[in-house]
Amino acid sequence: MDSLNVLFRRAIPVLIVLAFFSVSHAELKHSVMSWDVAVKKAKGQTVDWYMWGGSPAVNKYVNGYLAVELKKRYDILLRQVPVKDIAEVVSKLVVEKQAGKNSDGSVDLMWINGENFRTCKQHELLYGPFADALPNQKYVDWTNPTVKNDFGTPVEAMESPWGSAQVVMIYDSVRTPDPPASIPALIDWIKANPGRFTYPAPPDFTGSAFVRHIFYHAAGSVERWQGEYSETELESAAARTYETLKDLKTSLWRRGETYPESPVRMNTLFADTEIDFSFSYHQGEASRNILDGLFPDTVRTFVFDEGTITNTHFVAIPYNAADKAAAMVVANFLLSPEAQLEKATPEIWGDFPAITPAKLSDDWKEKFVSLPRGKATLGDELLQAHQLPEPPSKILVYLEKGWEKRVLKNR
Amino acid sequence: MTGSACTATSLPGAGRKSSFWRLFYLLGPALAIIVLLFGGGLLLGLLQAVGHQPGQGFSSLSMHHFQNVFQDPDFMGSLGLTFYISATSTLVAGITSVILALILMRWAANNRAVNFLLQIPLTVPHLVIAISVILLLAPSGLVSRLCSIFSLIPNSTAFPLLINDKFSVGILLVYIWKEIPFITFMLLAVLKNMGPELAEVGATLNATAFQRFRYITLPIIGPSLGGGCLIVFAFTFGAFEVPYLLGRTYPLAMPVWAYKNYSDIDLLARPEGIAIGLIIAATVTFAIISSQALLHFGQKRGLSA
Repeated sequence: MDSLNVLFRRAIPVLIVLAFFSVSHAELKHSVMSWDVAVKKAKGQTVDWYMWGGSPAVNKYVNGYLAVELKKRYDILLRQVPVKDIAEVVSKLVVEKQAGKNSDGSVDLMWINGENFRTCKQHELLYGPFADALPNQKYVDWTNPTVKNDFGTPVEAMESPWGSAQVVMIYDSVRTPDPPASIPALIDWIKANPGRFTYPAPPDFTGSAFVRHIFYHAAGSVERWQGEYSETELESAAARTYETLKDLKTSLWRRGETYPESPVRMNTLFADTEIDFSFSYHQGEASRNILDGLFPDTVRTFVFDEGTITNTHFVAIPYNAADKAAAMVVANFLLSPEAQLEKATPEIWGDFPAITPAKLSDDWKEKFVSLPRGKATLGDELLQAHQLPEPPSKILVYLEKGWEKRVLKNR
Repeated sequence: MTGSACTATSLPGAGRKSSFWRLFYLLGPALAIIVLLFGGGLLLGLLQAVGHQPGQGFSSLSMHHFQNVFQDPDFMGSLGLTFYISATSTLVAGITSVILALILMRWAANNRAVNFLLQIPLTVPHLVIAISVILLLAPSGLVSRLCSIFSLIPNSTAFPLLINDKFSVGILLVYIWKEIPFITFMLLAVLKNMGPELAEVGATLNATAFQRFRYITLPIIGPSLGGGCLIVFAFTFGAFEVPYLLGRTYPLAMPVWAYKNYSDIDLLARPEGIAIGLIIAATVTFAIISSQALLHFGQKRGLSA
């Protein structure tokens, strides 16, 4: 009896402590507030949005349009905090998590994707899953692998989409009236037209994207790399990629002995008619170059039949954000048709929508279709029907290093 | 001018010894900035390159970054390429400058138009020249198009490869074009000070033009020429933007290789980039020291008169 009493007396404080921890742990993980609660709490809050500040167009859109609209509609003060690289913010969150700082974080919202998102998810640095609680998420096609996965990491509503970037091939309709429509056709075209194609040397971002297209072609599968894959599978697919690229070398510009150091140089070669194709990770770049007088009027873009690599960029809420409710409201507004249309306007920013026009009402559909995007830019429906997801960043880096060693240096 | 300001003791002049403190106060601010920013940067870089991790003190120091660089199969190729670019441009610029300086001295010493023309390359940055060379000498560039308009070549692909090519022709052209006026002006300054008397004496002693040059003019412009060439060598050895734009993807010049390592997505490559930068600095320092030693040696033996 006595020992049972003692046991009971000793157990209660332990149980209470355990219960406390499990509740607070649960609070951190599972109790994402509902939308209505969020809107109410968000009134009067200030959202500190940490994002890459290197583009004047983006900054103007955020501070000029978004901040004004959010103040008007939801009484939220949006404060953009430009950073050079969001990885710095991620490092800060890692440290804060280790130090146990679980509330009153200075970062309310982050513009993020890829490797940085993977780090955040791994270290449990995010508040969520919140993206599926937002009403505007109904406009997002969550079945699209480029939205469902972020560079191979499943999103699982831990971040909310904002915009998308997709690789498009650029050609001159006068010089090349009938461009090759698929990657095998492109390879045949290169061999039949030696010296008229090249790509920027990886690790340049655009050149690296091209290598990944060849990788998908050599591997024969795209989906495999989105889940679990083995090292041997990666090695053999990569080896086939390098073989294909080495095989192409003599048919490339300058016989593959040198490559343009940047996409700017590749565009110059294309405009100077030294090569017949260029490509870009921005769907609207060709049109912009036509407007700037760098490309002739007859330049157009196309995507491969099997699709071109696309990545979506997102916004995420840190686990210790001080103004989570307002951050959710901001993320929701970013997905609204009005904000996405404004963002897609070439004069404002020209970033492509993360929402699918197919899910919009008819008059919004009409607005997106009739938005003047430039004569070389393809329509949203065509682009979104030909998208391939990015593989995990590990594969990116692996291919870049391998290209340098096996294709460039021939080792 | 008041009387007291003109006395010899208060006016600074050649040969007047300044007290140490006076020098300290006059040079101090400028030296402080240089030592702090440049010296400090160099020191921090050195610490990173020897593997120093903050918080681990001396135990983390190791030479493995330098080892990795020296053992890299591309190291000798990169060093060789950089040396070839620097040595060739220095040599050609040096010889051409001497010839140009003598010609100018003889015929256009005080011609303002010529002087102005010569100053233009000095004011244009290397980067601008590099881009201009691309626009001019690319197979689709201006010169190629002019050649095919005047039927010198059948079409633009027949134009010889002058940029991004094996012999770094474009890079050499940029450096030579920029450095010739630089060295020429240094030589002209000395030649103008020299005056014609010594050469006249040589002529009266029956020396040929070449002998006058070899034994009278050359030793006088020697130090300036040597100094100018060393500056050109040091600069071209460490310059980044010209080989980046006009060089090939592989092999890389040392500064481009250093930059690629430093900006690599793999953060572990950064100390290696710094190590390469330090190797560049060491090579240049070695070149300067050894050339001074050679000069000194030559003077002692009476080789250079």
